[in-house]
Amino acid sequence: MMQRDVHLKPKDLLEHLQFKEGDFGKIALVSGQPQRAKLCLDMLERPTKNFTFLGYTFWTGFYKGRKITVGNGGFYSPDSAFVTELLCNAGIDILVRLGSCGALRGDIGIGDFIIADKILRGDGATRYYVKDDFSPAVDKDLSDKLCKVMEKKGKVHKGDIWTTDALFRETKEIVNSYIAKGAIAVDMVTSPFVTLANLYGKKSCAVLLVSDNLITGELGFSDFKLFEAQKKMIKGVFEFVLDLDV
Amino acid sequence: MKVMFLQPNLGAWSTWGKHRAPNIGQAQIAALLRQKHPEYALQVLDCRAWEMSNEQMLEEIGKARPDIIHIGDILHTTGGAAVVYRYNQAAKLVKEKYPEITIIAGGLVYASAPRQILRRNPWIDYCLVGEQDISFVELVEAIASGREVKEVKGLAFRQGKEIVLTSYRGLIKNLDELPMPAYDLFPMEKYVGHDYWKHYTETWNSRGCPAGCNFCYEWSQFDSRGNADLRFFRARSGKLVADELELLHDKFGVKVVTMMDDCFNVSRQRMEEFIEEMIKRGLNKKVSWCFLGRAPYYLRDIDLFPKMKEAGCFLALAGIEVATDEELKELGKGITVEQVEETIAKLKEAGIATVLTWMMGFENDDEYRIKKRFEAVDRIDPDICALQYLTPMPGSPIWPKYVERGWVKFDDLKTWDFHHPVVPTEHLSQEAIGRLGAWALREFYSKPGRVERILHNRIYHPLVGLCFRSYMENMSRFEKASQTDELYV
Repeated sequence: MMQRDVHLKPKDLLEHLQFKEGDFGKIALVSGQPQRAKLCLDMLERPTKNFTFLGYTFWTGFYKGRKITVGNGGFYSPDSAFVTELLCNAGIDILVRLGSCGALRGDIGIGDFIIADKILRGDGATRYYVKDDFSPAVDKDLSDKLCKVMEKKGKVHKGDIWTTDALFRETKEIVNSYIAKGAIAVDMVTSPFVTLANLYGKKSCAVLLVSDNLITGELGFSDFKLFEAQKKMIKGVFEFVLDLDV
Repeated sequence: MKVMFLQPNLGAWSTWGKHRAPNIGQAQIAALLRQKHPEYALQVLDCRAWEMSNEQMLEEIGKARPDIIHIGDILHTTGGAAVVYRYNQAAKLVKEKYPEITIIAGGLVYASAPRQILRRNPWIDYCLVGEQDISFVELVEAIASGREVKEVKGLAFRQGKEIVLTSYRGLIKNLDELPMPAYDLFPMEKYVGHDYWKHYTETWNSRGCPAGCNFCYEWSQFDSRGNADLRFFRARSGKLVADELELLHDKFGVKVVTMMDDCFNVSRQRMEEFIEEMIKRGLNKKVSWCFLGRAPYYLRDIDLFPKMKEAGCFLALAGIEVATDEELKELGKGITVEQVEETIAKLKEAGIATVLTWMMGFENDDEYRIKKRFEAVDRIDPDICALQYLTPMPGSPIWPKYVERGWVKFDDLKTWDFHHPVVPTEHLSQEAIGRLGAWALREFYSKPGRVERILHNRIYHPLVGLCFRSYMENMSRFEKASQTDELYV
């Protein structure tokens, strides 16, 4: 039988990864897709690699003098939960998610931006961390600032995000129930990302790029607009972090 | 004598979106005709550039009342052999309305399959067989003076119920003797490349390719009675190519050029001379250019890549077609996979973006071979990949075999644009090939990281991102062409 209370704590893993205090900046820009993280990495001056663990890689460098950490923090709830927890234990104070989502309103187009407001938990991972009635909250001030910057980059919608674990179980019944609760977009990450930040008392916010639309049925995964908007999203987020007081 | 060069309102390859360039074959023969006979009145009617309907085309022809109309294209990149269908249709309309106009066709397919063309298209009076420049001039002279045309070499025409083929014309040996193409006859401001390249044109300064692969489309530029004419490479000097780019820029405001030579990099000395002229004259700051070349020559010239880049080269194309050395040998490509891999890697390293062309639909292709081929293309990792379906062309070494097997029939060529599979393989139907092609192209352009790498590349010229964008935006058109009769040319 297992003797320890917990097999692995975030600090143990950081130690295992030879992570030293101060290796990270105070702000982390976290994407799901590694290629998006690579685009963030390209924005940094003098970046150095912090670690790679199970395919999740983080780098820290400077953007106009500000120390920033960038990396891919997971595609789904379980990996997003443990990577976010790792970041919270590694000295990050502000977590910014650069994600993707499906729109839940017909007027939201491919390549539009969604700024997360409330988070509706439909994922399984956060149940290991908080009770069912816990409502994850992004930092309002950060979200407002992010919204302002992104409005200069494209069409922005601010609203509630529903996080699910089951891509192929986005049935009419389930989707409509979350729309009735106020969701304007669905993703697979934001709930654990914000929940873990909340648990550790860190500030978080999220901007999501619309890749498909559940109302119109549009699939924009290979749409050029998406890639163009991605570039704008990254530029916007870097402008945003320059204005933060950390 | 009034001579008109007609370009009907045709489209372009499915993956090329809105793509319009002067008909360079016509620009070349018009220049030669003008040089020999400045007294003739020459006119270009480019209905594609002006977006004219057939009715408007006929109206313009009615106003101009030419004695002779030339149709045909020399570049397979305009739309493969499918352009021939469009020219033939235009010829029919013209002949029905203006039977007195003599219609002469030359270039791709007309050059290699004149009998089939004349049999199917009674509205065409003459086909120029093989290289058309001198034959065209001599034919116009004969018509103008009322002389017998049968003395003109490189010609096919009807005599009663018979189709007469005059003797073999042969090739022009020294291209430097040809005048500069008559760009002034064309609406140069109207041309665009890959949807977004403005101030665009295409040039054609060499003919033939030493490799002469047995499936190559370019065999259809030549008279099959010649001794493998495609393999006889001839080129204008590097200095003259630079002269042409200088004229294009200074007189017509051209800023982007695709060198449409079958193989621009055959001669190192010519390439060196050209890039030196470009840099010396400061043309490298004014004109950006791209070209099609062969892997062994690229490898020979790796040390020239930085200079090529400095001279304005932003994109280079190489062909692999298949994925193993055995297959390459079978096709007579004369290159190895390793050479292609190294070429692509070194070009990218030098900051020159890469296009890799590959094919499917070869005789022994099955799903496994095609998917392995795709894996190789994906591994080589060019910036843009261009996929084409094997389309046997009259005049090519593989043509007789395909006819004998009953796998190919010379029809109206409507779908012979290389984006519609027109022949089966030993193991796959045309439908199955099309499905695999549609799968492969989407797979290539969906690879995580590839899109970002190219769109946000800081080393490549911005024109590369625009071209890539056009390919991505037109991907669904290729999928449609692969699997339906939808036409884009």
